[in-house]
Amino acid sequence: MSRLEAARAATQHQKQWFAETARRARGGDPIALVNADAPHEVLRAFDVPYVVNQWWASIISAKRLGPASMRMLANTGLPDHSQQYDTMPLGAQALPLDQRPWGGLPDPAFAIADSHGDVTHKIFEQWGRRPGTETYLLSRTAADPVPPRWWELVPHEWETAFGTDRLDLLLGEIGDLIGWLEERTGRAFDEDRFAEIMRLANEQAEWNRRTRDLLAAARPAPVLVNDTMPAVMVPQWHRGTQWAVDAARRLHDEVAQRIDDGVVVCPGERRRLMWIGRGLWSDLDLYQRFQEDFGAVFVWSMYLAIAADGYARYGPDPLRALAARFVGLTDLLYVPPWSADWYVKEALAHGVDGVVHLVADDTPGGRFISEALEAEGIPVLEIRANNADSRSSSAARIPERIADFLRTRVPAED
Amino acid sequence: MTGAETAPRIGIVGDDVPRQLVLATGAVPQRLLGSWHDPVSAEAAELLGAVDAGAARILDGLLSGRHDDLAGLVVCHDSQADLRIFYVLRILAQRGRLPFPVHLVDAPRLNSAAARRFVGRQFSRLLEFCEQVTDRRADLGSLHLAAERELALGRALEAMRERRRTDGCAGAAALRAYHAAATMPPEDAVATVAAAQAPAALGATPVVVTGSNHPDPGVYDALERTGEVLVVGEDHDTGDLAWLGVAVEAAALEEVIDGLAAAHLARPAVATGGLAAERAAYIATCAEQTHARAALALVREHDDAPAWDLPDQRLELRRRGVPLVVRTRIRPADDPVAAAQEAVAEIRIELASTAGGIS
Ligand code: SF4
Ligand code: SF4
Repeated sequence: MSRLEAARAATQHQKQWFAETARRARGGDPIALVNADAPHEVLRAFDVPYVVNQWWASIISAKRLGPASMRMLANTGLPDHSQQYDTMPLGAQALPLDQRPWGGLPDPAFAIADSHGDVTHKIFEQWGRRPGTETYLLSRTAADPVPPRWWELVPHEWETAFGTDRLDLLLGEIGDLIGWLEERTGRAFDEDRFAEIMRLANEQAEWNRRTRDLLAAARPAPVLVNDTMPAVMVPQWHRGTQWAVDAARRLHDEVAQRIDDGVVVCPGERRRLMWIGRGLWSDLDLYQRFQEDFGAVFVWSMYLAIAADGYARYGPDPLRALAARFVGLTDLLYVPPWSADWYVKEALAHGVDGVVHLVADDTPGGRFISEALEAEGIPVLEIRANNADSRSSSAARIPERIADFLRTRVPAED
Repeated sequence: MTGAETAPRIGIVGDDVPRQLVLATGAVPQRLLGSWHDPVSAEAAELLGAVDAGAARILDGLLSGRHDDLAGLVVCHDSQADLRIFYVLRILAQRGRLPFPVHLVDAPRLNSAAARRFVGRQFSRLLEFCEQVTDRRADLGSLHLAAERELALGRALEAMRERRRTDGCAGAAALRAYHAAATMPPEDAVATVAAAQAPAALGATPVVVTGSNHPDPGVYDALERTGEVLVVGEDHDTGDLAWLGVAVEAAALEEVIDGLAAAHLARPAVATGGLAAERAAYIATCAEQTHARAALALVREHDDAPAWDLPDQRLELRRRGVPLVVRTRIRPADDPVAAAQEAVAEIRIELASTAGGIS
């Protein structure tokens, strides 16, 4: 099965972009390191290139430098056992330059994060101690209220979805961040440019929604789920650019073409599977391993689905819309009942026969997700492991357990 | 006069509740503390994911019906573990698993004008929740009376801290007093706090305690029973950093609320909310003021925040000649008392190795 051209193009673009960004940074241009939940579009408006901490962790992890990075942390007395995915880049920054992936991440001028969990703010505090780096922290509020069917509310009725209080706080903090960046970059925040960035981000989300809808309806599956991951995620890191809109559109068109051409991943598709949880970066082949023996194909990815449902924010006030994009983004995925309701909706739309649920140790109430799916007659296999750490994914015997699950609980369709 | 014996009790998970507001609606705020020792049920462990066993034990207490006589429950977003307790209980309460309503208090720690407004709105909503639970509206009169009661408790605690600095009160007795203050009607607590006297063993080394909080006095008891150490201060939310004895007197409800929001944002940070630098500065100052000669960090597994403070704390304490002895990732099945006793032995060795240089 040939790879998606959109995936290849995205991966290549990301390499070029990173090389160019690193070159600019070494020449003295400020760049930023940001958490996945920080309001990226503000940086785009300032023309400050940003590297997303979790993306960089995925690169480090793919190069199997996770354990070495964590050792660097431990050497300085910092814990190597908490929020590993978020801490890995901090550790990797201490590796000798020739061992760091992609020639290394130049030290960012700005490190920006929301205070998610118990230690994200402390991780970014450490970044701020590195020479040349300053840290800016945002608050992280809790998912309260949680009105039902969030995916119908968030594009336009985000005020209802997240509540005025949460939005007011983040909007206030984004305003402070803008002032902080104006001071440090000597540049002025351009509201028109920002509004255009928000418009492009929404257009990108619309293409992602169409792509997701195509894939939900297509039988058998026309693309490998791990192929859609880079094709969706890389443009997400460039959200708010014309390139990202075009990339999302290219992915859509390529998927549509494949469906027209009758291309399928597995002609013998007999079981449609859904993977819930973060990607197992250390073992991407896993997603294909069950085709041969079971005709089992992973047809859904959180990355495309959240890009389709989670990001669009319309409205006359682009800054408030930006606050609404980030105020509860991960809550949509990880906080029950929001998470559970959405997974059920997606599983039904994709005609899924079984779910492999990778319960990360940083999410509560995983059981509620599994229960909600089982209540719809969809069998669920729960696996508890950390996605980025190759030590724990092999320890959890994931392939064997999936095979067992397919054999015993997921009857084949005919 | 306050009817505290018959007053409804509102349970509290975490430490971000301004107790004055709860008291003003005629309820008694009762913090649920959990423990170091109790086994964690499979259900709590599974519902919460990997969290501090201290929090899992609180959830266990709630699910086992031990707190069914509460009139309502307030859960704070002061740690990831407590937030998860809220998320889980919100669903279980909806399913009828709890006989009382559950409410979240979300009070971030990063100070800004927007944060102060947000925290103020959270406190207003807390007050409404308590009013619904008790069916009694707070007014300026009841807010004033609540402030007096809470401030009297604050004075008693301050006097106890003073006794602690002058060898008049052991750490375990102080910890019990803090627990009483966090769980009993203020008048009863004042009496208990005032009675916390237990003088220290002669010649014991004064130490400050950081790391995880202490939901029960078991570890402090074990430390002090060795006769070798005396806990003179700490930076966790079940001891010196517990938000107790604070209230605002003002001429309007909005001013009380805003004053409480400002007071919250000015609190010294606990591990989960604070930066390592502030935490290190706090424990070092604490060690100085209490004349501590050593510091001890006991950190439960999955209570990750304190571990991020340790390198800074060690450095700041060392600058003042105070060694820091550390036990991290204490697991639910581990014996915390044994860990504490080992730590005491290590403190003895540390002090012996530096003593030569001092004399
Ligand atoms: S959701 Fe997980 S990976 Fe993402 S920011 Fe939070 S802890 Fe990090
Ligand atoms: S399992 Fe069979 S039908 Fe499916 S991809 Fe492999 S060879 Fe093709």
